[in-house]
Amino acid sequence: MNFIKRAFYSTKAKKGRTLLLTFVFSAILIFILAGLTIQSASLKATENAKKSMGTTVTLSTNMENAMKKSSSSSSDDSSDKSERPDPGSFSITPVDLDTVNTLAKLTNVSSYNISSSTSVNAKSFDAISSDDGEEDASSNASNKEGSSQRGPGGGGMQMMKMSSGDITIEGTNATDTVSNFTNGTAEITEGVGITEDDANTNKAVIETNLAEANDISVGDTIKVADSEDEDTAYKLKVVGIYKTSETADARSMRNAALNPYNAIYTSYTFANKVKGADYKDSADSAVYTLSDPEKMDTFVKDAKKAGLDTDTYSLRTNDQVYQQMIQPLENVESFAQKIVILVSVAGTVILALIVILTIRERKYEIGVLLSLGEKRTKIIGQFFAELLAVLVIALVISGVSGKFVGNIVGEQLLEQQTTTTASSPNNQGGPGQNGGPSGNRGQAPSGQGGPGNGGGAPSFSNFGASSAENAKQIEDLNITLSLKELVELGGFGLAISFLAVIIASIGVMRMQPKKILIS
Amino acid sequence: MMLEVKDVNYWYKNIDDALYENVNLTFEKGKLYSILGSSGSGKTTFLSLIAGLDVPKTGEILYEGKSLKKIGLTNYRNQCVSIVFQSYNLLPYMSTVDNIVSAMEITHSQSTNRKDYALSMLEKVGITKEMAQKNVQHLSGGQQQRVAIVRAMCCEAKLVVADEPTGNLDEKNSLEIIRLFKELAHEQGKCVIVITHEREIAKECDIVLELKHKKFNELQHH
Repeated sequence: MNFIKRAFYSTKAKKGRTLLLTFVFSAILIFILAGLTIQSASLKATENAKKSMGTTVTLSTNMENAMKKSSSSSSDDSSDKSERPDPGSFSITPVDLDTVNTLAKLTNVSSYNISSSTSVNAKSFDAISSDDGEEDASSNASNKEGSSQRGPGGGGMQMMKMSSGDITIEGTNATDTVSNFTNGTAEITEGVGITEDDANTNKAVIETNLAEANDISVGDTIKVADSEDEDTAYKLKVVGIYKTSETADARSMRNAALNPYNAIYTSYTFANKVKGADYKDSADSAVYTLSDPEKMDTFVKDAKKAGLDTDTYSLRTNDQVYQQMIQPLENVESFAQKIVILVSVAGTVILALIVILTIRERKYEIGVLLSLGEKRTKIIGQFFAELLAVLVIALVISGVSGKFVGNIVGEQLLEQQTTTTASSPNNQGGPGQNGGPSGNRGQAPSGQGGPGNGGGAPSFSNFGASSAENAKQIEDLNITLSLKELVELGGFGLAISFLAVIIASIGVMRMQPKKILIS
Repeated sequence: MMLEVKDVNYWYKNIDDALYENVNLTFEKGKLYSILGSSGSGKTTFLSLIAGLDVPKTGEILYEGKSLKKIGLTNYRNQCVSIVFQSYNLLPYMSTVDNIVSAMEITHSQSTNRKDYALSMLEKVGITKEMAQKNVQHLSGGQQQRVAIVRAMCCEAKLVVADEPTGNLDEKNSLEIIRLFKELAHEQGKCVIVITHEREIAKECDIVLELKHKKFNELQHH
């Protein structure tokens, strides 16, 4: 191991050269480490995004087929072909609960939300109304005059003018699975939410503004009335109060039911009960959250294999938000990867050039060693050992500073990427991942909804929110330095040292001691 | 017979400009040889051939009866020959003693305590322990040449070749170096070949060979 000893003496004696190599090597390793940490953080963030966001697949009525059927049946019935189809003949079937449960049992489903919405009138309390009393009154008046169809879906019934109350009943299997709760738009502030166990009960969770305005607290019982039949009243036991960050928009000024404060979460069975006997064991839609977004297509295939009637029902996949969210991360990761490759190659070349220059300076030393009968491989080994000693120091320096550089570069990259993503026209708003309930609430009371409007349809309340939500996720990119990155960095350092010495040693292999020492 | 040069020819570019023509020489152990020659006569090239730094164009060199080609030049330099250069050729980033110990390690010297042995050998040539611990570049030219000779002594090679070892030294130091070479040859039984252009130095050797007109002529044999 004589060559290692010589490497030590040489490194110690040639302080200037050692410092130069340490400085250059540290700079190279800092950039590689920055790249590695950014890459790792992006991967982690993507993984977290996968876990937290998942991908949603919405089971709802196949609206396209329903429209076609309606159109063809109208045409058949009509003697005059040019006559437009009767809108009253349009019928849609709510989603069968057995189908919902069958799909829920498929692999990769992390959670699912059954959604069934309708509207009612507040009876024992007052709904939060808009400031414009006249508009509200007229709205209510028109509601009272509403036609026979109730609820958002009108499923199984003919689509006619729909009645609308001033309260929206958001039936669900569990509030924990409702997108507004999962994405943080709403949160339980008092009491508990609706759970699977609350099926077939009259438990309700109301909004804090509604509760405060009517002095309702957890444990109280409130009454709501059928929007078409004021005599049919239902008692609801308030088990929880939630707070929403959604605000009333222009439409909710005209229709109190659209006001987010007037949304009451109940079990879907209660919503079905209000909607009528035809809706027993049905849902407007079901939103399945998949644990792995990449298995979305597999889920759809499995659902079809499980006997899903695709003529009646449709499965709408929605990983657009996930894709949108990970796009900046992927860009950052790809950029970080390029940094690592580029710096590694450039670093190898730079180090090789420095080593070549130092070898030229050390020709005489090489000649002496060769004249002593030292093997060329050991001479190369000495240069490698010298570079390894520098590598150890450079690893320490880069380990200390690499994280900071990684943070700065990572933040800038991310900022750039999120700005690009946010300004991209494709990313404005985007389809509401929240699909189900909020989409239904926006649609149901006006009578255009039905189950089909659940999942993939744009959610007005969330319009434009996707980018902001993404930015929030991406801002959380956590660049940390772990042992894994340090080991990887060490590997890169070793490879760079090895390659640099090998490139530089081509000259050593060709050196003849006679030429060095005697000429 | 330690070293035998058989029918050796050497030229650089042109065979017509050959430095030697069928050189045949033998070198015995325990003797100090000097090879005299004017500048450009080819004496240093001859040293490179017998030191295993180069190979003859034709002919062969045998070490203890074995061809250098068979032994391998690196092995030959490592095990059989020690070279002392005019410019000392010590490793500048090491101390005096480390230079010697390092060379002993490279040549796999049998000494059990290499450092102590090196220090004792250095003391013999007038380099104290304190001086031996210092960087070799702190020594004078004469001292560095003595270190180079001690290195050759410690490496246990049976053949020592020196190229103008006194070229950079004054008379006093030159005589001291020749004394050391004599000691190497006569007391340690090595074969020492000194290349020089100084007749005064050459006269001190047992056998003097002069390289003239592509031929080696023996001028002196004690």
